[in-house]
Amino acid sequence: MKSILFLRSLCLAFLMALAVPSAFAGDTAPGAAPKFLLRVNSTNQLYEFSKPWIKKPPFSKRGIGALIDGGRILVTAELVANSTFIELEKPATVEKSTATVERVDYDCNLAVLRPADPDFLQGMQPLALNGPLQVGDEATILQLEPNGDIARTLGRITTISVSGYPSESGALLLFKLSAPLQQRDGSFTVPVVREGRLIGMVMRYDVRNQSADIVPTAVIRHFLAELDSPAYQGFARLGLAFAPLRDPQLRRYIGLQEPGGIYVSDITPRGSADAAGIKKGDAILAVDGLPLDQDGNYEDPDYGRILFSHFTNTIKHPGAIVRLKILRDGKTLEIPLSMQVANRENAISETQISDTAPKYLILGGLVFIELSRPYLKEWGNKWTSGAPQRLVYFDAFQNELPPDRGRMIILSHVLPTPDTLGYEDLENIVVTKVNGHAVKSLADLSEAAKNPVDGFQKIEFEEDPKLLFLDAASIEANAEELKRHYALPALERL
Amino acid sequence: MKSPLFLLACLALVLPTAPASGQAIDLSSGDWEGVVNIDASVLLPDYREPWNAGQPSGGSGTGFLIGKNRFLTNAHVVSNATKLVIRSSNDPRPHPARIVHIAHDCDLALLAVENPAFFKGTVPVEFGGVPQMESSVSAYGYPVGGTRLSVTRGIVSRIDFQPYSHSGMDSHLAIQIDAAINPGNSGGPVMQNGKVVGVAFQGYSGDVAQNVGYMIPTPVIHRFLKDVEDGHYDHYVDLALTYRNLFNPAARRALGLEDGNTGVQVGSVYSGGASAGIVQPGDVILKIDGHTVSSDGSIELEDQAVPLEEVVERKFKGDKVRLDILREGQPMALTVTLREPWPFKLQSNLYDEKPRFFVAGGLVFQPVDQNFMDAHDPSDQRLNYLFDYFIADGLHTKRPEIVVLSNILPDSVNAYADEFRYSVVDEVNGRPVKRLDELAAAFGEASDFYVIKFAGGGRPIVLERKAIEEARPRISARYALKAEKNLEK
Repeated sequence: MKSILFLRSLCLAFLMALAVPSAFAGDTAPGAAPKFLLRVNSTNQLYEFSKPWIKKPPFSKRGIGALIDGGRILVTAELVANSTFIELEKPATVEKSTATVERVDYDCNLAVLRPADPDFLQGMQPLALNGPLQVGDEATILQLEPNGDIARTLGRITTISVSGYPSESGALLLFKLSAPLQQRDGSFTVPVVREGRLIGMVMRYDVRNQSADIVPTAVIRHFLAELDSPAYQGFARLGLAFAPLRDPQLRRYIGLQEPGGIYVSDITPRGSADAAGIKKGDAILAVDGLPLDQDGNYEDPDYGRILFSHFTNTIKHPGAIVRLKILRDGKTLEIPLSMQVANRENAISETQISDTAPKYLILGGLVFIELSRPYLKEWGNKWTSGAPQRLVYFDAFQNELPPDRGRMIILSHVLPTPDTLGYEDLENIVVTKVNGHAVKSLADLSEAAKNPVDGFQKIEFEEDPKLLFLDAASIEANAEELKRHYALPALERL
Repeated sequence: MKSPLFLLACLALVLPTAPASGQAIDLSSGDWEGVVNIDASVLLPDYREPWNAGQPSGGSGTGFLIGKNRFLTNAHVVSNATKLVIRSSNDPRPHPARIVHIAHDCDLALLAVENPAFFKGTVPVEFGGVPQMESSVSAYGYPVGGTRLSVTRGIVSRIDFQPYSHSGMDSHLAIQIDAAINPGNSGGPVMQNGKVVGVAFQGYSGDVAQNVGYMIPTPVIHRFLKDVEDGHYDHYVDLALTYRNLFNPAARRALGLEDGNTGVQVGSVYSGGASAGIVQPGDVILKIDGHTVSSDGSIELEDQAVPLEEVVERKFKGDKVRLDILREGQPMALTVTLREPWPFKLQSNLYDEKPRFFVAGGLVFQPVDQNFMDAHDPSDQRLNYLFDYFIADGLHTKRPEIVVLSNILPDSVNAYADEFRYSVVDEVNGRPVKRLDELAAAFGEASDFYVIKFAGGGRPIVLERKAIEEARPRISARYALKAEKNLEK
């Protein structure tokens, strides 16, 4: 109770400060240029995953970065995803500097930028990070007026939960703030403060419900701590999916006496849980002695009942050991688990590709790629129903395919050439072998194609037509013409 | 070689019931006296609440006398019918009729009137051959726009293989005509020089194309009539393989083909089909029953270039096909004994079948087929994959039926089962469930717990026997469940 009263009084002081310039005068005085905000203009350019040798037209995103300790400017990862050019701009003076991305992490949707000119930040003051907040607390979203003044929108925190982030790679702590936010500058990457301290970055805004999703300081602190560690690893993942254990019939069947516990429903191959020997069907009862309820929540000292992955993924850093209390076959076990970041190296289909040129290989005119979710998303908003359904299925359920399956190599489409006569209509079929060699990556395919059999490139598929042949010598002879005709910078990028 | 393509916006030419009560007109002679109007009362099975009788409906089409008390019409005119009546322009009284044979795969049916005294004096029509392109034809029938017999005239626009939309899975020879054919024309004869050259059966709606109607040509009709001579319809037979053109010179050389224009390359050979274990992917088909196959898959038959399937189209269950092939450069002769490939039926529209289901603890389980998918239109990615690739990926070899939890009748016994709708059942109490009757059998065994595991290996549903039994009368009463199972088609 005491601390709440204390906060209230601080709050009051803050509100008064709005009227009377005081200790926070730097950021609160009307008309005064803010000393910790910068406009960030990022020109981004995505690759065309269906024609991976070209980039789509560039587009600009604008957002507001917050200057934090160490001369870093904090923004969302989405703002600078696939950036080709970033510019910082001081709100009042419109002084500009180019910037580079020091680190971007799409898992937590955060990035830090540094100006090319170190003196650019002179005279500015970094924002400090706030501590934990409660549901019901007020916070202020900061935007900039065209003239450089701060536009403030007061809101209230309505939800604190572990929720999905845009990268779809997992869930992290997220605040929802109810506030009537206006869109300015075409992006909702803007900082949120309370009492002059940063409490998070807005990353999405739901216009209909007037609700902003905020990356909170708990996640920002983890990101910054990793940044200051000798080798950035980011956020570790448990590598498991679970279902609540609410059904009393199921609880009785597995002989679960304790009130809580969750049911492990899926294990990611080579993930942390897989390495620790956790199995589908295990019930997780507690983590590091913290009991889990039937939905997988634990009692967090700062945020109350939230999902235990906040403890394992955000509070703990990669390499930490957590002890899981497991019920398996009616027996209780204690299993140590080393938290590791997701290892996508041997993934069958990459789910997230940013800032990286997609791989491809063109043989004769046949365009080969590695299956990935960004490729499937080229089918638009309704890609899950619009993209080739066999590939959508393999991407969605890749955990169920043999773990040593390797990358799924796809004949994406055919650039018609004299060599591809009769093959022009082939698209989106899965390659199994080239010249008798199994292909688990485009590099494998490139190697296998170096050794044609009897002068032919023999390519085998899972689907029709099952196999086809190309004339190896003719492909070689026509390679330059193919590059010239379709303006291909290269016939492969591995 | 069944095409997965559907005729988009295809218009089923069945007219919603409009009682024909036309007065007799003078039809003393002419081509049309055996052309009759068929009214069907229909019960559409309910695949969402399969214990219910279904939705009553009706339709009207055309048929014509082809022999002693035998009327030919389209299968889609009389499918799912509970009552049929026949009228003619000469005799507008309704005469109860029944189905003698029905072939959904080629959209044809044979009817008989219950009292053969009717139509006794009527002269059956005769069949002609395949009409020439651009020759004129007349379509007879009882389409929208009036109650009496209608005649429209047009020419033969195209002779080609077409998907037959009634089953949705079959393609056969069809003839496109530009005579106006409209809802109600279905099953009616298309005539040339006083002989029947086809049965009007489908078309495109005016939104898609103009004056595109199709008729079933006489080779398909004759095949149907021959098939039923033994009193039973056996369904079309199929090689159950895919093939692809061999235009590519490199492929031709690699496969050992001399320069020329013969041969197609076999792609998939479907397990469970007639060619399985005989033909292999990569084989080159050079000849089929002695007919040389050109590199686009066509053969010369009766002076017409037709797809090589046409040889199989004219054959029957148990007949043999000789394939001359090239395998790894070596010529070979193969013999395929034709049969109906069963897994294909799962992806056809099905008629005259009662939906099967099994209910336990308010959980409704159903086998998946095209009718189920049409009725439920599930968005479950796993189910859609299993269904769409059931044949192509050979999934039917692992599970002859896809059994899903299709619905949950809410009750305290199944309070935590919501998320499992449209999940595919893998096993019950450790017993694999590959067909609906296996699921029923597993629930028939005494056990304290019934543990239902689903494809993908997530959380199981556990039902306690005591809870199921307590819930049974409650659920039956609350949801007006007339039966807890139907395991018969």
